[in-house]
Amino acid sequence: MISAIIKQIVVLLLAILMLYPILWMIASSLRPQNEIFTNMGLLVTKPVWENYVAGWNALSYPFGRYILNSLIIVVFAIIGNILTCSMAAYAFARLHFRFRGVLFGFMLLMLMIPIHVIVIPQYIMWNSLHLINTFVPLIVPKFLAMDGFFTFLFYQFLRGLPRDLDEAANIDGAGHIRIFFQILLPLMKPAIGTCAVFTFIWTWNDFFSQLLYLTKPDMYTVPIALRTFIDSQSQSSYGPMFAMSVISLIPLFLVFTFGQKYLVQGIATTGGK
Amino acid sequence: MKRLWKKYLTAVMAAVALCVTTACGSSVGASDVPVVASDGDVTIRLDWWGGDSRVETTEQAVAAFEKLHPNIHVDMEYSDWTGYWDKLAVQSAGGNAPDVMQMDELYLSFYGSMGSLLDLNTASKYLELNGMSDSLKSMGQVEGKQVAAPATTAQYGVIVNNTILNNLGLTLPDTDHWTWDEFADFAKQVTEKSNGTIIGSLAPNNGYGLQLWARQHGEKLFDGNHIVIQPQTLASFLQLPADWASNGVEGSRERWSENSAATLNDSDFGKGQQAMMITQATMITPYAQAAGTDDMSIVPLPQIDPGAKTMYLKPGMYWSISSSSQHPAEAAMLVNYLINNKQAGTILGTERGIPSNDDIRHTLANSVSGTDRTALNFVDTIQPTLGTSPSITPNGASELDKTIIRYQQDVVFGKRKALDAAKAMIAELQESIDFAS
Amino acid sequence: MCVGNQFGNFGNTDRGSASRLYREWHRANDGDTEQEDIVSSFAEFGVLVNNRHKPKDKPADTKVALGFLAPWLIGAVCLSLIPMLYSLVISFTKYNMIKPPQFVGLMNYRHMIADPRFINSLTVTLTYVIVSVPLQLVAALALAVLLDRGMRGLAFYRSAFYLPSMLGGSVAVAVLWKMVFGADGLFNAFLGIFGIDTTMSWIANPDTANWTLMALHVWQFGSPMVIFLAGLRQIPRELYEAASVDGAGTWRQFRSITLPMLSPIIFFNLVMSVINSFQTFTQAYVVSGGTGGPSDSTLFYTLYLYQQGFASLRMGYASALAWIMVLIVAALTGMNFALSKFWVHYDD
Repeated sequence: MISAIIKQIVVLLLAILMLYPILWMIASSLRPQNEIFTNMGLLVTKPVWENYVAGWNALSYPFGRYILNSLIIVVFAIIGNILTCSMAAYAFARLHFRFRGVLFGFMLLMLMIPIHVIVIPQYIMWNSLHLINTFVPLIVPKFLAMDGFFTFLFYQFLRGLPRDLDEAANIDGAGHIRIFFQILLPLMKPAIGTCAVFTFIWTWNDFFSQLLYLTKPDMYTVPIALRTFIDSQSQSSYGPMFAMSVISLIPLFLVFTFGQKYLVQGIATTGGK
Repeated sequence: MKRLWKKYLTAVMAAVALCVTTACGSSVGASDVPVVASDGDVTIRLDWWGGDSRVETTEQAVAAFEKLHPNIHVDMEYSDWTGYWDKLAVQSAGGNAPDVMQMDELYLSFYGSMGSLLDLNTASKYLELNGMSDSLKSMGQVEGKQVAAPATTAQYGVIVNNTILNNLGLTLPDTDHWTWDEFADFAKQVTEKSNGTIIGSLAPNNGYGLQLWARQHGEKLFDGNHIVIQPQTLASFLQLPADWASNGVEGSRERWSENSAATLNDSDFGKGQQAMMITQATMITPYAQAAGTDDMSIVPLPQIDPGAKTMYLKPGMYWSISSSSQHPAEAAMLVNYLINNKQAGTILGTERGIPSNDDIRHTLANSVSGTDRTALNFVDTIQPTLGTSPSITPNGASELDKTIIRYQQDVVFGKRKALDAAKAMIAELQESIDFAS
Repeated sequence: MCVGNQFGNFGNTDRGSASRLYREWHRANDGDTEQEDIVSSFAEFGVLVNNRHKPKDKPADTKVALGFLAPWLIGAVCLSLIPMLYSLVISFTKYNMIKPPQFVGLMNYRHMIADPRFINSLTVTLTYVIVSVPLQLVAALALAVLLDRGMRGLAFYRSAFYLPSMLGGSVAVAVLWKMVFGADGLFNAFLGIFGIDTTMSWIANPDTANWTLMALHVWQFGSPMVIFLAGLRQIPRELYEAASVDGAGTWRQFRSITLPMLSPIIFFNLVMSVINSFQTFTQAYVVSGGTGGPSDSTLFYTLYLYQQGFASLRMGYASALAWIMVLIVAALTGMNFALSKFWVHYDD
């Protein structure tokens, strides 16, 4: 009993430590600019709601436009990643074929090369296909399982699932497609949930490729818009920047809060209990 | 099987080689489009870096331009400073640079010498460059070509927060002819009188500051593609922040270090915790807004030899036209509008710096008030100390500002002696310039 | 047999089989001493399962594999292999992104040896990886286990611990970290509670700046934690139930069931953490304003590579740097895989 209370307290303290900076950010979004850098407290006596109004209307389009653009990319990215990364993972984890090791190694190798040195040929390719200023260069790679992180994640989860399942299904005459989509995929809900949440966050925060491929203001996304508030050479709009950062955290927070029940669903909880 | 692999590899290598030689080479060639205005509808791209206030004014100016030229449509693109240069580099590699781009002195010789920028003299029918002084105009030239049109100028001065000085009961000494020692002595008093809550000033820490420091020592920073500043002179510049950190002008070395990485709003001067700031005159308005005071003024930079002709008009920003533009005439018309049109001048104001066009500067000076006016009139204040303009930053030295701060930090935190740092810095920069050319 | 039926059965088959296997294993060990190390038994069990299945596998499922891998293969060739070969070729050239690349042989690689900033960036990065990866993983695992056991306000805590990771490398982090580790920052205020009065700016001093970034890395432990949580949910509850019937305590259950069963996921997090933290870019970029300062103390490898490629426009050198990094990270990853044979237990 006492240990439970101690545990509760420890976790609570830790949560405060984790949350303080975020709460400070929210408080700062309600402060006048010159107070942001001098006040470390969380108390806001006179909230400056103007930051939200100013931030929302500061750029060429209302900020909602950038959120919408980000959302479009994110939704496709999630679908693409879940579908194609898990398929690739199935091949690597369950099938026997020539060069499996080599290909798997290459998949990991792809994770190790920094984007900065391969972005030029990629840009040249998309440019010659006249696809700059469309979402295509940002979405298509997700449908080609280019996020090796998730392929590897699904692979590890699949290897955690007993082969008895496939075996039994195979004896019952189920093909690979059926085994994968109807048996294994439903059992990988925690991994799928993880993949969805991570794809959401990483795509939402991805700056570099969105900067290069989306150059028209009506195509801008949240991270590009947020950086425009900060000008290293002149006046920056920190209040509006914090306000819009808070706004852009809301979708992430909602997705995570409501999506987490899928994250924690697994073998242990499927089928009753 | 082995053979198949070989075939495959050869094919891939061939494809790569093709890509390297053709796709990446194709961007070099300038388009041979004649500089003649088209009768039909034309769309050009305009790209700049800057914050949200720049977005608003530029959009207004462009809208007015489109009204004047109904057949020209301007697609606007903008991003933050580093994002802008990353994007421009990749776009240039892909042969997809914008028609009109905002340019900075640090990168001008790179893009100019690579042949990426249009010689504006070929578009003289549409673009007038005589509204500015010849020495200013000459700073838009690379290898004899006018590859950029200076849009604004920047003059270094000392911006003074008078509210702080009044509160502390301090009065500025004679600033028309002050030396660095007098400046530092006065700055020290600020820190002492406020018990360190407010600091006096910060040592200059960028290429412009170094250029002026060299000129005050009777030297130059660059001569063509060579760094010609003496190691001793550079050493004294690198030593300055260390001295000022220990004697109190800058508070402490950590405080200096924090400030050297800060943006305008979270710097001590922007927070109203610093009395004087050595920077560009036009920064007075954003600083005054950030610090929440309207009592700021600009005084001349201290000099080693007060009154010497060491100052010059540095182009703050340029407009350049891509050499691969399909519509160079229309692009030139846009640049012309942005730098010479009175209406545009009024809309754009001093947000990008002091307008390079003298007529517009005078018109603006008569119509605006407060700190903007102070900044516009500062050009007249320093007129007697203006000398000849120096060579611009050579190709390969685009990282000059960051390099200076890095070596200053090395000296301030005792990782190197100033003279060693100066020698290392000269060697590093020279290597970089030699490599680039 | 109807599909739905089949699917419905499998949920049960699986749970049934896991507990059945556990019982079998349990029975087999019945006569042995209770001190018998359960971990090693699990290892044996894994081998057993593997051996049982291998002969039954079809020799090659190449056609099926091609189908499942098709999207990845297209992407790997068009979007990765060609650009990667391109950068490899570029690494032997002088290339500023505008002029056509000029072949220079090994010059870029030789330049590295004499480049003190390259050596420095390697040191900075290695220190960062060695310190922050284990710290972050231990924190993530501890919290995941704690939260998995179920407690009041579980959903809230999960979100709370994950929130910092959502911020990622957004511009807000730059300001945030300065407010925490600056001279007037929260951290100094916290030290003040214990009577330590200092005006030290942790973020602006070259001796401590890297540590503030490690703190940032550990603070964002949410991602591995979520993966651990997902992995924990895959461990059949029956194992714990049976173990507690046997009288195994919490710690023993953790060591004998959780750790081995979770080892594939621990392994995943370890491999990915090493790869990702070696490539740390955004956080350092945002916090130092792209400079890697003060005094190059946060000049991470990728940041330096980026500076060389995009700011100094030496794409050839940047590509050479990239390939040296690929070699280092690949070696580390290979080592991880080789060592995994000793501690990672797969069920398949």
